[in-house]
Amino acid sequence: MRWLAAFVALAAAAFFLGDYHNDVYRKMLLWVMLALGYNFLFGICGQIAFSHFAFYGIGAYSAVILLFQLNVPLPLAILLGVAVCVVVALAVAIPSTRLEGFYLALATLALAQLFVVVLNEGGAVTGGTGGIANYRLPPIFGFQLRGPWYTAVIVFVLLMTLWILIKLDRSWFGRACRAVRDNPEAAAAMGIDVARTKVIAFTVTSALAGVAGMTYAFVDNTVNPPIFGLDNAFLLLFMVIVGGSGRHAGAAIGAVLLFLLPFWLSPLVGHHHVLVFGVLMLAAILLQPKGLIGLWDRYSR
Amino acid sequence: MRFLGLVACLLFAGSAFSQTIKIGVITDRVGVSKPYSEPATEGVIFGASEINRRGGVLGRNIELLIEDDQSRPDISAALARKLVDQGAVFILSVSLSPATQQQQTVTMEAKTPQMTPMNSADYLTTQLQNPYFWQTGPLGSTQIATLLAHARSKNFRRVALITDNSELGQAIAKAFRGTLEKAGIQIVADEVVARGATTATPQMQKIRAANPEAMFLAGVLTAENVLIFRAYKELGVKFPIHSSYNLSVPIYETVAKGLIDGITFVDAYDPDKPEAKAFEAAYKKATGKDSVNLHGYGYDGIMLVADAIRRAGSTDKEKIREAMQQTSYAGVMGAKGMKYSFPEGKRAGYDPNGMVVRVYEKDKQGRVVHVGQK
Amino acid sequence: MRDFLELAVSATASGCVYGLIALAYLLMIRPTGIINFAVGEWAMVAAFGGYVFLTKYELHYLLGMGIVLAFMLVVGWVSERIAVRPLVEKGTAILAPILALLGVLVITREIISISFPPDPLPVPYPFELQHQKYFIIGVTAVVFLGFWAFFEKTLWGKSFEAVALNRRAAALMGINLSRVTAFSFAGGAAVAGLGGLLVSPNISAHYLMGVPLAIQGFTALVIGGVGRVEGALIGGLLLAFAEQLTIRYAPIPSGFAQGVPLLFLMIFLIVRPTGLLRARA
Repeated sequence: MRWLAAFVALAAAAFFLGDYHNDVYRKMLLWVMLALGYNFLFGICGQIAFSHFAFYGIGAYSAVILLFQLNVPLPLAILLGVAVCVVVALAVAIPSTRLEGFYLALATLALAQLFVVVLNEGGAVTGGTGGIANYRLPPIFGFQLRGPWYTAVIVFVLLMTLWILIKLDRSWFGRACRAVRDNPEAAAAMGIDVARTKVIAFTVTSALAGVAGMTYAFVDNTVNPPIFGLDNAFLLLFMVIVGGSGRHAGAAIGAVLLFLLPFWLSPLVGHHHVLVFGVLMLAAILLQPKGLIGLWDRYSR
Repeated sequence: MRFLGLVACLLFAGSAFSQTIKIGVITDRVGVSKPYSEPATEGVIFGASEINRRGGVLGRNIELLIEDDQSRPDISAALARKLVDQGAVFILSVSLSPATQQQQTVTMEAKTPQMTPMNSADYLTTQLQNPYFWQTGPLGSTQIATLLAHARSKNFRRVALITDNSELGQAIAKAFRGTLEKAGIQIVADEVVARGATTATPQMQKIRAANPEAMFLAGVLTAENVLIFRAYKELGVKFPIHSSYNLSVPIYETVAKGLIDGITFVDAYDPDKPEAKAFEAAYKKATGKDSVNLHGYGYDGIMLVADAIRRAGSTDKEKIREAMQQTSYAGVMGAKGMKYSFPEGKRAGYDPNGMVVRVYEKDKQGRVVHVGQK
Repeated sequence: MRDFLELAVSATASGCVYGLIALAYLLMIRPTGIINFAVGEWAMVAAFGGYVFLTKYELHYLLGMGIVLAFMLVVGWVSERIAVRPLVEKGTAILAPILALLGVLVITREIISISFPPDPLPVPYPFELQHQKYFIIGVTAVVFLGFWAFFEKTLWGKSFEAVALNRRAAALMGINLSRVTAFSFAGGAAVAGLGGLLVSPNISAHYLMGVPLAIQGFTALVIGGVGRVEGALIGGLLLAFAEQLTIRYAPIPSGFAQGVPLLFLMIFLIVRPTGLLRARA
């Protein structure tokens, strides 16, 4: 099957890359994961939210706190971590269904900032401003996952995320999401429960972001507040738009491109690659709203 | 044929000799740490060029591999890995403390020596037991102890503490709090000015109402510190301000004009020290620009590394590690007569008695009024 | 008691700055429905302009201020031209210009960051440090009165209102939509710039000052409501008072006090998203 081939190809690549490139590769895969989820929420369901990174953080911190402060066994920790994300997502999503468009964005922006405040003030539980370090992924069935093997795990989680999103996209739920995105009143008239659709989309994608976060916790073996700050939320939005919102391939392309761009641009524009992002974003919206994937479609005809 | 062989040998030998010693530098050229990291990096570059001018280390030139972590913590560790892959035998960390911490997870695993000549966070040598990491920046705990020693002569019983909500500001405040409480001094007000605030008046009012004898400033964000100084002036309070070494950054001389006269601050730089004077002169001669105290951190950093490699007699990482641990070196930074050294297997090398307290005289960083922790 | 009076003045001054930013948002939202987060960066540009003309070249305050504000008018107009007009003409959804303006936000910030040294730069006070608060309050009062009169009394102002109420009807009545939009952006930029100029002697000009101002201004707008000019000012004052009174008097650690505006925002968004003041019928 194609999925198996994809898994083998992506995971095997990890074994051929040096340590440094493996690290970059892993982080890129994580960004793709985040972009895919965000694309579903924004591109397919039409909801703008800035809380994606907060959930990434909630997943990461939950995993670390559960495993190393509360000494919960690994499988239970994973389930509980997901549960925490779901609960928080519901707590934000349900009251927000009354809000339209940018009001949800603002509420999630506030949530993202509050999250950082809580992390900073969290004292011994969250490690405060220094975060938590000095932990290792516990052995699974006696096997210590490290290096390229852990990358394979990340590939697995990524493909699983993609599979879930594609399945949702192609189901009636996906159609409901699109209807809500394009015209909420018409959707309601067709009998779709708009509020419930929004809540489910937000909760599912946030939970997926949380899972990505749990995976991230063992990449650098450090979690601290700056990692989950607000700038990345904007970057995620840019990635999805430049790549092509509404399409999984678009999100992936946008994530890969904008993640790797600073590394390539570094020798040229130094550190002002953000300027390039802004320009790309503007160009995308003005000239090619379908994003890079739109260009690809046009030229592959 | 033999001639060719000779040429080949010479070329081979030549290339072996011209092989450089690679030292990695991870700095921040973009974000919040830039005002500190940039001068420190310039200090490193200047130091490396001086070393090379004098013949290098072990007959080889130093090659700096400079990476920018763009203030992105997830990139820091990756860059450390990249430098290790590229053959760096030592990594200098002149970015933020959390970045240095993340790099440690890599250097510990790759058994590559790493040092921060600048960061002051106490947790860097305690949170991870990494025998390949050293910290020669003055510790937060040393700063406050020095500041406190100076304040002790004034017999304060009740003081106020104010900081901002940045990671470093909170860490410094925590260090202040711990040491003040241990000395039996009561903290009657403990305030935070958030990033992006438009005024510090409410915080200063709260402090004024608590009637402290002095105020300790732990904030590190320039704009927010300026807000605090303005509120101080506006509310007409008169208690002395004692600040962390953040105030040793020269920007305050321009952006806080008229507001800082009389403020005492801890610094790691004594402009009267012979090494400091020599450094200032050399820097001015080589670059045409005036140096600031921050340059000294970077300069001392690369000098310490070069010194360790020389004593190790090779670029083998284990030998460098052992040599580094035996360091005893007088640098540009520190009080007169101070030497960097790592006692009893510890890895924080800034002499606890090596900081000074200076006072702003009008708008300029002025003379030293106190040395050490006595 | 003396504390409270002092605090009231300080909160009023901060509230005025928030109010100006909120007004900038309002000027652009009313005729077009577009939320432009770049207002924070515009305030920042003006602050840097203040540094250039007032600190570096040491021009007379009024002259420097005038130049900067004129420059802001141009900036606003150009932004509209590039990021808004082509999209409106193409008939895209409202989301598109909002996102395009996010791109403008980032570009503006980076351009400033490239052009100036990284440290905060000083902007001078027109009068003494102690009098800045009164200056801010005075200028803001004049600006708000001016805009209130503009919308209530003049024909131009009424045409703005007409566009806000119903774009199509306004167009049918012969009002030039694109001119109204262009002016609303130019005006918004100038007002935001004024806010930046007024607050920067206190906080210095630095390139990270935009986003907090944008968020504070937007919170003020949500509280006060988009419907009326006065709402922006009231929202700003309420926010500033809540912030500063909490820090001064509430028995919670200061670290949490910064959560107050965020909490306010979330509460208002959920409970009363249209704000306190209703629009005129």
